[in-house]
Amino acid sequence: MKNILNFLLDIGRLKGKERRGWLLHEIKKSESTAEHMFRTALLAWILGKEKGGLNWERLLKMALIHDICEVYAFDATPYDPLLPKSLKKRKKIREILKKWPKFSLFQKQKRELAKYKDELKGLEKLISHLPSGLKTEIKGLWLDYENGLTKEGRFVKQVDKVENYLQGIEYWKKQGKIQYKLWKRWSREIIDDPILLKFIKTIDQKFFANISSKK
Amino acid sequence: MVQEREYYLTEQGLIRLKAEYQHLRKLKSAKITGEVPKVWHSEDLNPEYLSFQEDVGFLEARLTDLEKVLRTAKLIKTPPKTKRDMINLGATVAVEVDGNIDEFTIVGSLEANPSLGKISNESPVGKALLGRRIGDEVIISSPIQVLYKVKKIRYSS
Repeated sequence: MKNILNFLLDIGRLKGKERRGWLLHEIKKSESTAEHMFRTALLAWILGKEKGGLNWERLLKMALIHDICEVYAFDATPYDPLLPKSLKKRKKIREILKKWPKFSLFQKQKRELAKYKDELKGLEKLISHLPSGLKTEIKGLWLDYENGLTKEGRFVKQVDKVENYLQGIEYWKKQGKIQYKLWKRWSREIIDDPILLKFIKTIDQKFFANISSKK
Repeated sequence: MVQEREYYLTEQGLIRLKAEYQHLRKLKSAKITGEVPKVWHSEDLNPEYLSFQEDVGFLEARLTDLEKVLRTAKLIKTPPKTKRDMINLGATVAVEVDGNIDEFTIVGSLEANPSLGKISNESPVGKALLGRRIGDEVIISSPIQVLYKVKKIRYSS
């Protein structure tokens, strides 16, 4: 029980850990990693029910653990290689965030591999003292999520992006610091699940109702 | 009867999944007979998948998924030279968007990984680009319009 308590104390740190992407965008009172996982789990459950044919237990557990590696791993963003060393250079960062981060296929692959290794290392450290059955289960769920090994893994991976999109659009509406056109473009390239595309359309109808369809 | 979904895979992807399926089946048999599995020394397998060895639920879920995928898999073939000026599955495409050039490969849903520059043929952008040629312009309305201009198309072989 002591090791389980220590694990939960570690996980508790995510309740107050603001997500780095929002900090870069200077969002005030931005969400924590735990808050993101909470709504991802709800989305996975509710939209997964619409989709059907999914293993609920696997789906919900995966959504609940998908970002826990961030207790120890770096919360990377797609903009990182372009950012100045000091995050105090706000003017420069604002300029960088105005454009879509552009990298070659080789750079994308190299960056993703580094991120994956860092997150796996963080996860292994976090779960290292858990009872072996639980440790294996959490690692298996995380590997499934990361690599899309089952239909549940592939669905939660996209639900995570949809939650992120919804949060980004909410911040844009409330604080105006998000380049919503870039987010829109991103959503049309990364989501392919029919149920999630339908949900994105619903988000757009709510938030972009008064925006002209012209460029 | 509900028609099964078809999965488009690259040749490399199909070979990898077939090898993984064979390894996992051997592992499952070994677990049933109580043998110490010796199937994990292949370079084809990601060593992190050792979790399968201990987590039977995970092993079963992956095997079920692989069986379904391999049963309905469709191989992505490189089109003949005369048709390589058109975007098809497997094409790597350079597009101009908002004044910047971006590059990605269009693959089936199963192999899609936008972070690695692989976008799904079932995503709105992937779907709209299929069948297009160099110089074509594609507008994605959602409801904000984004214009993609096709600059280059290439195939790996």
